[in-house]
Amino acid sequence: MFTSFIKKVALAGGLATAAIATTAAADYPEKPITMVIPFGAGGSHDLNARVITSTIPTYLEQAMIVRLTPGAGGQKGTQEVANAPADGYTLLFTHNYVDMLQQYVENLPYDPINDFIPIARVNYAPIGVVVRADSPFQTFEDLIAAAGEKPGAIRMSHSGNWGALFVPAAQVMQAHDVSLNLVPYQGGGPAMQALLSGDADVTMGFPSTLSAQIEAGEVRLLATAGPERLYDDVPTFAEVGVEGDVGFMHRVLLAPAGTPDDVVATLTQAFADLIEDRTFSRMMGRLNETIELLDGPTYQAMREEQSAAYKTLVEQLTSQ
Amino acid sequence: MLEEFTTGFGMALRWDTFMMMGAGLFGGMLVGALPGFTTLLAMAILLPISFFLDPIVGIPFLLGVYKGGIFGGSIPAILVSMPGTGAAVATSRDGYKLTKQGKSRKALDMALVSSVFGDLSSDMFTILMIFPIAFLVMQFGPPELFAVLLLSLVIIAVTSGNNPLKALAMMMLGLWLSFIGTDPLGGVERFTFGIFDLKSGIPLLPMLIGVFAIPEIANVVMNSGKVQQLASVMGERLKFSEFRRCFKTICRSTVIGTGIGIIPGLGQVVAAMMGYSAAKNASDHPETFGEGELEGIAAAEAANNAVNGPTMVPLLTLGIPGDNVTAILLGAFVAQGLRPGPQLFEEQGATVFAILIAMVFANIMFLVIGYLSIPFFSRLVQIKTSILVPVVIMFAFAGTYVFRSDNFDLLMLVVFGVFGLIARAGKFDVMPMVMGFILGPPMEYAFGQTMAMGNGATMAFMFEERIGAICVLLAIPVIGLMLWRRMQKVSEG
Repeated sequence: MFTSFIKKVALAGGLATAAIATTAAADYPEKPITMVIPFGAGGSHDLNARVITSTIPTYLEQAMIVRLTPGAGGQKGTQEVANAPADGYTLLFTHNYVDMLQQYVENLPYDPINDFIPIARVNYAPIGVVVRADSPFQTFEDLIAAAGEKPGAIRMSHSGNWGALFVPAAQVMQAHDVSLNLVPYQGGGPAMQALLSGDADVTMGFPSTLSAQIEAGEVRLLATAGPERLYDDVPTFAEVGVEGDVGFMHRVLLAPAGTPDDVVATLTQAFADLIEDRTFSRMMGRLNETIELLDGPTYQAMREEQSAAYKTLVEQLTSQ
Repeated sequence: MLEEFTTGFGMALRWDTFMMMGAGLFGGMLVGALPGFTTLLAMAILLPISFFLDPIVGIPFLLGVYKGGIFGGSIPAILVSMPGTGAAVATSRDGYKLTKQGKSRKALDMALVSSVFGDLSSDMFTILMIFPIAFLVMQFGPPELFAVLLLSLVIIAVTSGNNPLKALAMMMLGLWLSFIGTDPLGGVERFTFGIFDLKSGIPLLPMLIGVFAIPEIANVVMNSGKVQQLASVMGERLKFSEFRRCFKTICRSTVIGTGIGIIPGLGQVVAAMMGYSAAKNASDHPETFGEGELEGIAAAEAANNAVNGPTMVPLLTLGIPGDNVTAILLGAFVAQGLRPGPQLFEEQGATVFAILIAMVFANIMFLVIGYLSIPFFSRLVQIKTSILVPVVIMFAFAGTYVFRSDNFDLLMLVVFGVFGLIARAGKFDVMPMVMGFILGPPMEYAFGQTMAMGNGATMAFMFEERIGAICVLLAIPVIGLMLWRRMQKVSEG
């Protein structure tokens, strides 16, 4: 807040002179842009956003201000942006589970597909399935076989219902028609701790949080999300029979539907420039985050696929 | 290990480390003193700055913000009865009474000294016992957490007031208020009456400011003819004899706080309340607690700061952040190429010890920074009430609003302010309600997790795997009755 304030002051000074020179051609953005995050302080979205907002002003010639609006599992902040004017000055930084899955498990005060358009997918994190090093499950097949024999006997810790670990777990269960006992924890950290302490038999995690445990030999990876291997000796979800866009958390920037095309174009260009920025990539690298930019239309197609896949998933899970 | 320790000691002795740490401590204290601005937010905003600093500078800087912020929270709690976090609630109880008696400076001094003592001892204990603590942390899961939270609530209810039944009733009300909103496990809406704003539950900050600060402001306004200033003097500084009188309490609270820090998921609120209850229970004059007892401040502040040391252990030894503060620190570590986890001590032992030792120095430094700043803060109470009251009201509303920019929170502030006035008229203590409200959700969550772990056979699961938690649960009625009888004996005699 303080840094962005200073930036605002500095930019205002610079822009005052620039504005006189360029007159009134394609004015967006002419004031700071607010990026609403529907989650709390200190989470991975917050940290990613701090990096984005501290570098993107170079390309937008305006400050971008983070506003944290947690509440109702992401709905509070999302609703705020849905109700905001579609002028490009209020954007939403969210992820696919809140964006596309929540509509099937709760009554939302907005319509995710019709009320929002994607601006950019900044990056994504692929999930990995892990067990303790002393676990009897040597391979993913061992785990599935054991889950098939004794439905519900294997405890899997996850980071909260319908969250980033719960959904892939449910999709694995759906793909193999087995049942795990899904025990919720308040975040990925506590879920991992439950695995290490023996309270859980299996859990999932993202590479940035898993790598220390893997290197120390405390845990064993059984499979990772996606079609390509992340580790040479660990099979992918596709290889073990879990197909599709499963186990990815996409961090996306959305705008209210009806945002003018030239505004969208300006933002799209700013992100295209941003990923070439060396400070940006260095800071993201330091957070152990990837940069995998997709533009709005490309991600919109993925959103529609997600929507359909989550719909069947929720119907199957809740009908049981 | 010893060699790494001494190398680390040498690494920590850098002038720029101390400079940035001092800046962090001072800045954190200012941010923490403003209601609505959390230390967590300050840390998240300042995190990118630490990327460009040396690890032994950047991480102590963030730790400074954190430590300064915790103490900062007790400043408005003591001066204007406005606790910005649950951890400062117990402090505001005696602190504000002392302010009204013209002893605000003494109260702030005591908060500072006991905070630093609690933090320093728990940090040193953590450095020496890091691996045993890491082992202990692993012994606590959801069933144990549920049992300990329930025990804490019972202790708070029976020791908080003269009338345990009234306290219990208020606690039940607080628990019920915490149920409003979306059920954290199942996602079902409860008591929301279809109102969207209630879906995320009742926010804590408006409740805290509403029930603690608004009645005090109203009190001053209603006596405006008589009260020209909140206190005519800020009073003397803390005397060594007073510190010595409270020393036993500070030590007791430090032990309690450190113990609570080891149990993942409990945190500062429980520690402050348990430290306070234990001091009140051990005292020869429990009736002075809540009426401006220096020992009460010492008990709460030593305990809530002693939590800090052990909460770092899962981060350092396992690479697992237990809460958002440690998650930000994890970000800072990773950005520096330090990968917290089982191998951190083998690969980077000296650097980690340097950071831990810097943490110890931060405490000593804060004693000086705090001691020099307190006179400026405590001068606040000498401002004429005709000026101070509007300013405090503005801070109450602005603090509530900046938290998440929501008009609904302002409505809640007014509602809880009125409720606080009514409760006061009926001689109901609001503290058990607030504690029920704060501790209800984690307790409910732990209960739900336990049920999920049992997977339909919870009793069998508990008896086969969780005898420890069962023992704690069985002990709760016994401890509760013992404390109840003692409290009644004291209030009669």
